[in-house]
Amino acid sequence: MNLLKTTALAALVASSFALASAAIAQDKTYVIGVSVPTADHGWTGGVDFFAQQAVDRLTKAYPNLSFVLATAPDSTKQAADLEDMIATRNIDGLVILPGDPDAMTASIKKVKDAGKWVTVVDRALSQPGIEDLYVAGDNPGLGTTTADYFKSALPNGGNIVVLRGAPIPIDAQRVDAFMAGIKDTQIKVLDTQFANWNRDDGYKIMQDFLTKYPKIDAVWAQDDDTLVGVLKALKEAGRENEMWAVGGAGMNQIIKMVASGSAQVPVDVSYNPNMVATAIDLTALHFAANAQVDGKLIINSTLITKDNAAQFDYPNTPF
Amino acid sequence: MTTAVKESAPSAKSRRLQMNVLGPLIALLLLLILGSLLNGNFLTYGNMANIVARASFIGIIAIGATFVITSGGLDLSVGSMAAFIAGMMIIIINSAVPSLGTGWTVVALGIIAGLAIGALAGAANGLLVTAGRIEPFIVTLGSLGIFRALITFLANGGTLNLNFQAADTYSPLYSGNVFGIPAPIIVFAVVAIIAEVVMRRTTFGRHLSAIGSNEQVARYSAIKVDRVRLMTYVLQGFLVGMAAVLYVPKFGSANSSTAVLWELQAIAAVIIGGTMLRGGFGRIWGTVVGVIILELIGNILNLQSFISPYLNQAFQGAIIIVAVLLQRSRRTTN
Amino acid sequence: MSMGNGASAPPILAAERISKSFGEVPVLFSIDFDVRAGEVHAIIGENGAGKSTLMKILSGFEQPTSGTITFDGKPVTLPPNGEAEGMGIVLIHQEFNLAEHLTVTESIFLGRELKRFGLLDVRLMRAQTQTLLDTLHVPVDPTARIATLSVAERQMIEIAKAISRDARVLIMDEPTAVLSVAETETLFEQINRLTERGVAIVFISHKLDEVMQLSDRVTILRDGQLIASLDASALTPDSAAQMMVGRELSNLYPPKHEPDVDAPLVLSVQNLQSAGVRGVSFKLRRGEILGFAGLIGSGRTAVAETMVGLIHRDAGELELNGQKVHFANVAQSLAAGIVYMTKDRKGKGLMVNMGLRPNLTLPTLDRHLNGMFIDSASEAKALERATRRFDIRARDASVRAGQLSGGNQQKLMLGKTMESEPDIIIMDEPTRGIDVGTKQQIYHIVAALAAEGKSIILISSELQEVIGLSHRVMVMRNGQIVGELEGTAINEEQIVRHQMGIEGKAAA
Repeated sequence: MNLLKTTALAALVASSFALASAAIAQDKTYVIGVSVPTADHGWTGGVDFFAQQAVDRLTKAYPNLSFVLATAPDSTKQAADLEDMIATRNIDGLVILPGDPDAMTASIKKVKDAGKWVTVVDRALSQPGIEDLYVAGDNPGLGTTTADYFKSALPNGGNIVVLRGAPIPIDAQRVDAFMAGIKDTQIKVLDTQFANWNRDDGYKIMQDFLTKYPKIDAVWAQDDDTLVGVLKALKEAGRENEMWAVGGAGMNQIIKMVASGSAQVPVDVSYNPNMVATAIDLTALHFAANAQVDGKLIINSTLITKDNAAQFDYPNTPF
Repeated sequence: MTTAVKESAPSAKSRRLQMNVLGPLIALLLLLILGSLLNGNFLTYGNMANIVARASFIGIIAIGATFVITSGGLDLSVGSMAAFIAGMMIIIINSAVPSLGTGWTVVALGIIAGLAIGALAGAANGLLVTAGRIEPFIVTLGSLGIFRALITFLANGGTLNLNFQAADTYSPLYSGNVFGIPAPIIVFAVVAIIAEVVMRRTTFGRHLSAIGSNEQVARYSAIKVDRVRLMTYVLQGFLVGMAAVLYVPKFGSANSSTAVLWELQAIAAVIIGGTMLRGGFGRIWGTVVGVIILELIGNILNLQSFISPYLNQAFQGAIIIVAVLLQRSRRTTN
Repeated sequence: MSMGNGASAPPILAAERISKSFGEVPVLFSIDFDVRAGEVHAIIGENGAGKSTLMKILSGFEQPTSGTITFDGKPVTLPPNGEAEGMGIVLIHQEFNLAEHLTVTESIFLGRELKRFGLLDVRLMRAQTQTLLDTLHVPVDPTARIATLSVAERQMIEIAKAISRDARVLIMDEPTAVLSVAETETLFEQINRLTERGVAIVFISHKLDEVMQLSDRVTILRDGQLIASLDASALTPDSAAQMMVGRELSNLYPPKHEPDVDAPLVLSVQNLQSAGVRGVSFKLRRGEILGFAGLIGSGRTAVAETMVGLIHRDAGELELNGQKVHFANVAQSLAAGIVYMTKDRKGKGLMVNMGLRPNLTLPTLDRHLNGMFIDSASEAKALERATRRFDIRARDASVRAGQLSGGNQQKLMLGKTMESEPDIIIMDEPTRGIDVGTKQQIYHIVAALAAEGKSIILISSELQEVIGLSHRVMVMRNGQIVGELEGTAINEEQIVRHQMGIEGKAAA
């Protein structure tokens, strides 16, 4: 198994092979299917954007590769998309970010059983060993990285509130890792609610937390969209100087705040939707240049601070 | 021959009538008591203002839905329409900033555009229902998808952000106060009062309950059924536009997750308030109470620490069902 | 009582001293009726004579208030809701009970599908249907959808369905009402084939010529009473018509004022055509009550609804006080002073779940505005006025319209109609389903309105009412006016002869 370690490395590999393959243009053509969830919040919006961008770029770079991109609002549609790709588009490989990995495992296994290359992105299937390549963000890592920051920023402990995402496994992985990370500290979690990675819910829940607790030292919003709602609630209540808040994902607007040295949003934790582009790049390399790319690629959730924020600023994303 | 119409009513009947009127108010009162028992900060002015201000978006939309539902129609597209209008407003304001600056002119342009787009979108729904003779459920289910896709497309899958200076100008419309009352609450109250009067005291209001009660009777009674129907959808669209006008300054942004499922919240509020889903009877103040009840439930769940957050939706669902169940048993006793 | 050609056979189905009341209202008085294997027994009578009720009792859809039903000589209580089909008693309704999207085979086997290993045995059912249709000489494909069949073919399928259930008594409610002459012939051949197989047929029709041609015996009902039950050969169309209607005019009706022949024409209708109306022309004078007689479905309601813009007008002209007019909707006709009062009180006339006040003022809300707003005091006054004028009796002012009795609903509707102070009022079945006392009140109101100078078109299926009130009577049949009666010519026999097509031919 090939264990590549960071995004930077993957990008390096990708670009070098891109050059190589342009030289050795092959006669054989390949079709790669790309299946991602419909943009239902900012992060999946970013996924769709980066997937589309990668497909456009690679179509130009490799004349012998063509792509089929499909977005699905739910597992039923996503499973149907896979069947269509096999039956009518005759794909050779599949890159998929399963909306609900447990529900999609059987469908993806069928693709694999049909002898196709399978790259799974972000969410682990319920049965190991199906995919050829697994590219993922580090969900427990996001929790741990955040917990480390909270520990360092609140050395003497403090009161915090947590706004979770939606009740699906990756949310649990993040929250469990975070809780484990702050376990033996003086940091006290006053309350936890689901904010569904959504601005309105973040705003609403933060307002109620502010009503409920007179003293909060910090907020973990887990997601940058939720964080936007939290910040608005703080501002309106006039309590923006009482506490700081941390989101997650690396949304453009938040990266800019971190870069400018905001006291309210001192850091962010990366969980970038462009991991889907990395996955498509690597899969393209497999077909275009017959590169050895199978295995597992975990993209670290890095702490973004004022100092390294510039690296995470992708100015043209809508995300 | 004797004239037998008496103005006095038997007491059993009047008691039933009072229950019918008081039902939603009693539910509201019970939730207020529950909330104040759970948390000392619940009854503070700040918390109450938060709740009503939050309720104002869906509230304004639900007032439009009360008109549509009373006339026997349905509009499922309101949530995605709100997101679409918010997106359009941001695009229009941003693109007008270079020529008009970032002052109130540009914001006023955005507001007018928002209201106009809302009315037009509503008219499109209404025309498909009336002239196109398609079931409102189907028409608005279709436009729900269309508007949601359009906002995703306009935002390129991500988030549309309002020009920063323009957002500063615009911001008081959401976060401002008049005599300590948040601006959205004032707009909500004004809309509610006007709507209540329109529903109760104008020919339009009377005509729509007639149509909802029995479309044939309305047609045979010289009512221009299609025109009234169309107007309810235009009005609904206009009010969705108004909700978007208040929403845009909240975050200065819109994306594909904006206003998701608002249509269901709005319909739930309308039904909790005592309006009949099959049409023929509607009351605006009931809808206002209904929407506040919905926000109260969310607020109380956040303020307590007994119920697991995993069960929040179950709790909300149960309260909605109980509220409607109370009405149902009231009707069958009649 | 003489016997038909089934004389030797004992009756399959018989009713003895059957009475029926709906609440307080008696509709059948001690009726005797029987039908034998292989005979056609016709029931005739005016609308409201009790034919339909008798039929429903014979097929179990209604239970008699008193009296006995015997089947094969044994007293029985027929099971309700069409379950009597299991005993071989099948009622074919006027409106067919066929689901349009099913095929012929599916319709015939509906509810008793043949199965094989738990699955539908489609092939066997289709084959059996084909055999059945062949024996009945019905040239219809078993796989055809009902929606693609003509009305006559659908009726044949209904009959085939009845046969397939081994019907021994087939009760048909006006089966020829919707059929053309040729289709009627086919139906009669079918009926003859059935009687040869020993099926007993009960047949209701308004068309006396058909009754004479087809039946062995005829039973005549009038006002819920059995008038006669006799051999068809002993009957002539004239004697039948007389027996159907032979009742003296009572003082139910106000004295008729002679129509003023010099009164100005207020309405002239020329060659009106629309769905169900085939070239209707007539004139109406000020203060005149113009009766419209005819059988149900003869196009009277369609004429009225076309005039006021409820049905699209294909051709023809309307002149109101000498001015050509066209109404695209009810609002326009109401503004011009011509209103139509529907016969469908609950479906089209009143909002049954709303109060009296909103019902009364619905078409005329604009008259109760104070600026932009509805002036409820003015509405209340209007209700008080209408209550007094039309004697609307309600328990209290807050009741819903649906809680009123039929008669009071009718009076409320009359009040609503008169709120716009129209000059021409078209009343469609204004006394349908209400008690005789209220009927009398309404007759006096109608006469008083005419005396005030209003012009009234009175559509009614109750001949007595048309005769008792009208200055002039138009008789309609098949969407056309087939007779115009005036003065002493306005009598039941004349009207019946016209509406049954014995006399008078349609004017082009």
